[in-house]
Amino acid sequence: MNNYSYFQVKDWLDDPAFQRWVYHGEQDAFWKEFIQDNPGQLSNIEQARELLLAVRGELDALPDSEVKARVSEILNAIPEEKLRALPWWRSNWLKIAAVLLLTLGIATALFREKENLQNLQSLVAGLGDGDQPGQLEIHNETNAIQLVTLPDGSSVILKKHARISYPAAFAADRREVRLRGEAFFEVVKNPEKPFLVYAGSMVTKVKGTSFSIKANDDEEDVQLVVKTGVVEVSALEEDGKSEVNAGKKLILKPNEQVTFNRKSLNMVTKTVQKPVLLNLPAESQNFEFKRTPLAEVFAELETTYGIRIQFDARAIAHCTLTARLGDEPVHEKLDLICTVVNARYQAQGNEVVVASEGCE
Amino acid sequence: MKNSERSPETYLITRWQQFCAGDKSAFGELTELNYAALYHYGTRFTPDGDLIKDCLQDLFLEIWEKRETLSYIAAIKPYLFQSLRNNLIRRIRRQSVFSDIRDDDVQDDISPESDWIIQETDQLTSHRLKQAIDALPKRQKEALYLKYYENLSYEEIATVMGLQRQAVANYLQYGIQKLREYWQHATIFLALCSEIAWH
Repeated sequence: MNNYSYFQVKDWLDDPAFQRWVYHGEQDAFWKEFIQDNPGQLSNIEQARELLLAVRGELDALPDSEVKARVSEILNAIPEEKLRALPWWRSNWLKIAAVLLLTLGIATALFREKENLQNLQSLVAGLGDGDQPGQLEIHNETNAIQLVTLPDGSSVILKKHARISYPAAFAADRREVRLRGEAFFEVVKNPEKPFLVYAGSMVTKVKGTSFSIKANDDEEDVQLVVKTGVVEVSALEEDGKSEVNAGKKLILKPNEQVTFNRKSLNMVTKTVQKPVLLNLPAESQNFEFKRTPLAEVFAELETTYGIRIQFDARAIAHCTLTARLGDEPVHEKLDLICTVVNARYQAQGNEVVVASEGCE
Repeated sequence: MKNSERSPETYLITRWQQFCAGDKSAFGELTELNYAALYHYGTRFTPDGDLIKDCLQDLFLEIWEKRETLSYIAAIKPYLFQSLRNNLIRRIRRQSVFSDIRDDDVQDDISPESDWIIQETDQLTSHRLKQAIDALPKRQKEALYLKYYENLSYEEIATVMGLQRQAVANYLQYGIQKLREYWQHATIFLALCSEIAWH
């Protein structure tokens, strides 16, 4: 049914997902399984793969450390901009006075309406929360789960009352988010940019995995359980800054759970049968499909992520999916599904519209 | 086409605009994101890694200097590739008065990302394929590299290499055809060998 079965060598060469596998080893499990299920394609795939590798030539890759060193060399070579320091009375006093007057005016205006004042306070608090401007916060005030897609494409499923804050664009060397409440994470793999979750004085550091965190304000313990990959947990330093206490560090593997005490900063680990902490479908779903009708696959994604997927039921009536989707964020899962069944999708917030030309 | 592919692109464009406005951290990030790919592209032209790194430093310092005039650029990657290419070729020409630049690494390096597909005999095919690609004219090789490894469009390759779009299409078509012919010869040759060995 899927159009990959009819691919010629030329089609393989031009397929972006295939190229990414050959060059970067992406979605390795998917491709290995595909080849096992389609032995007829083996020789085409082999030829396309060799051609692509020959085109690339030797991979004389620079180590990350060298790239970083070179970049800082370049940055250091930039001449400093000369700032002329003028005494305050000669420079901006008129501007300063204007700003002061304006502020006074706004404050007076706001005092007239107490409601407005509260708005201002929460705005200021919101800014203070995130250390820097450009910080976004999402608070799930609904009774259902809410999917948040982070700037790097990672998925976060927020439970009721949970809130997450993150920058509109992640920093160059790290991805930092703050969590209060309960959430399940599927983090895009990017070893060069570690992903850090700050939740009630516990710091979680990962490179690309899936895990659940429970950090409710009214509970003394913060808990975390790993579904896939490796997770590093440590305590936040006393002064509340993003410095990580090097002394206390725990490495957790799948099905390992940690309970972290906010006061004592003690960590207790145990192994669990299933990585279920929040009773979310995403925690136990392994996304294995064998000739599953596409409509069912979509229904499963809808309940797992709390999204809505619109599609033409008649067009995809004959489409089935055989694939193992792992811990990729929801957009990567949709990418894979769409490549296999020859479809496209558009996502706007939590609404996804799939257009398919159908499957024979 | 797909959203998740588009969003990193818009992110880069935002960072580029910030860089043009004088944001040093955006500049650092863009440099870091593109450095390794540019370096690898540079190895197409010269085996001299230090020369490439020198050129890259000049290139990035130069674009920092003229950042205010660069905000019209939307296709960032092709722009950087094109600039590196021009700088490198200029430098190599200047240098080649003194030394001859040759491409003489003969060893066969196909990285074993999934060796389970490659059977032992295939080492011979990849070796032959390597010879085949080395036998291609430089510009064909380069066009193939930009198309498949860097995923640039025909228009973008044309910009980078300073060619007409049609010339790029011809290079690519001819190059891939040549490689596939080599592949077929190699496999037939191998099949014959094993046939002979069998009897």
